[in-house]
Amino acid sequence: MRRRFMIKLLNISKIYQPDVHALRDVNLHIKPGEFISIVGQSGTGKTTMVKILTGEERATNGRVLVGGWDITNIGQREVPWLRRQIGVIYQDFKLLPKKNLRENVSFALEVCGNTPTKISSIVPQVMKIVGLEDKQGRYPREVSGGEQQRAAIARALVHRPKILLADEPTGNLDSINANEIIELLLRINRFGTTVVLVTHNREVVNRLKRRVITLDSGMIVGDQEVGKYIL
Amino acid sequence: MVFLSFLRIIKFSFQDIYRNIWLSIVTITILILALFSINLLLAVRVISDTAIGAVKDKIDVSLYLKPDSTEEEIMALKSQVSNLTQVKEVSYISKAQALEFFQEKNKDNPEILQALRELGKNPLTPSLVITPKASEVAGELIEELNKIKSDLIESRNFSDHKLMLDKINGITGKVNEIGMIISLIFILITLLVVYNAVRVEIYTHREEIGIMRLVGASNSFIHMPFFLSSLIYTLIGTAVVILIFYPFLSLLQPYLETFFTGYDINVISYFNSNFIKIFGLEFLAVALINALASWMAVRKYSKV
Repeated sequence: MRRRFMIKLLNISKIYQPDVHALRDVNLHIKPGEFISIVGQSGTGKTTMVKILTGEERATNGRVLVGGWDITNIGQREVPWLRRQIGVIYQDFKLLPKKNLRENVSFALEVCGNTPTKISSIVPQVMKIVGLEDKQGRYPREVSGGEQQRAAIARALVHRPKILLADEPTGNLDSINANEIIELLLRINRFGTTVVLVTHNREVVNRLKRRVITLDSGMIVGDQEVGKYIL
Repeated sequence: MVFLSFLRIIKFSFQDIYRNIWLSIVTITILILALFSINLLLAVRVISDTAIGAVKDKIDVSLYLKPDSTEEEIMALKSQVSNLTQVKEVSYISKAQALEFFQEKNKDNPEILQALRELGKNPLTPSLVITPKASEVAGELIEELNKIKSDLIESRNFSDHKLMLDKINGITGKVNEIGMIISLIFILITLLVVYNAVRVEIYTHREEIGIMRLVGASNSFIHMPFFLSSLIYTLIGTAVVILIFYPFLSLLQPYLETFFTGYDINVISYFNSNFIKIFGLEFLAVALINALASWMAVRKYSKV
């Protein structure tokens, strides 16, 4: 049976001690296969939301469900399992500098105990999808920011996740590279992966013409099916 | 899958050492310096113990007997003294032997030898030279010797001996005490240096640890390569120290033999006979500290 929701946030609040309200009573339902942008200015709680979804932070109040799994009080030992089901990419790429691009991608499979046969079959496919088949042996310092982000996307995709969280993926890129990354995310979405794009890039959001959630002071102040960056 | 993970942990560990070769060399060098210092301190202890032992071996007490004592009477007294629990050995020096020793001792002093000749007879008395079992019981031995009622004994004034013995015991006690304190401080500093070196090594990997966690690596998968690397560092460090320390001892040994002429001092054979105990214990202690430091550091940086 197809799930009605891929991500469910129910009355989520996050308070950092002593009294910083990062999120206030947030309710958000994301359907499977959706491409959703979460926008807002700096410090509005966007990254906190990503951290809660990846198990890096726990919500102070409310419930969090990812793919039908209640991760509200997820234990430290279960976090690796959650992260193998969600692909995440970041503004600073977070690639291992001492490993080449192929090794960075393989690494995500190796840590999960996949066999060398499976790894050597999946990795070239994913590298091809992101357009890095010719640069697999290069180290992160030897390629451009856009290519590093592509490698990070490839790494996020090797687990064949149902959800891809992109936290400001174009923040460190010029407009050409940024557009290419967004195109790649749209392509991945077309394969059926739910994509959650966290950004404050007005141009990108307006061009996408997809669902937009607007955050302000930790609260959802806008939820448009075909939205624009309104702040 | 467990075997596969184990092989990958080994692969990542060696890859990490190789790709961070300078950092690995620095960490191993610190381990070598620390272990070398500990072994040097141990060698100094062995030498100082031998030196103290040599001084203590020199401690003996003499009972001077009347010149007209008969051999039978002296032997009976010797047997009585030998039965005391504090006595290790009793040697009888006859009048003739005492003269012989005296002449040998003063062979370069013609005036004394001339005076002896002019005297025309042997002025020396027979004696019993008593070696205590340990310098610590020499005081008790003197008390026991004072209790012996015998007309054969001409002189038993041991007050100078008692004073000297107390001083030697006091000094050796202090030397041991200070040596122990210095050793403990030194070991503590060494352990802290090693602990810190491993933490610095892992600090440089903090980003990598965070990324491992973000891509879904389990805690054990994150910890194990660092733990294994620290074991490899310890193994290499200990092996290099053994390779360096033995030639160093070989260079030191002839000087020690010259300095402690007549005494059995051999630091190489001491290290040989305690090889497993010394280097095995050092390996275990450093490996334990390394493991603890890497576990704590990785735990700190993997909280994402």
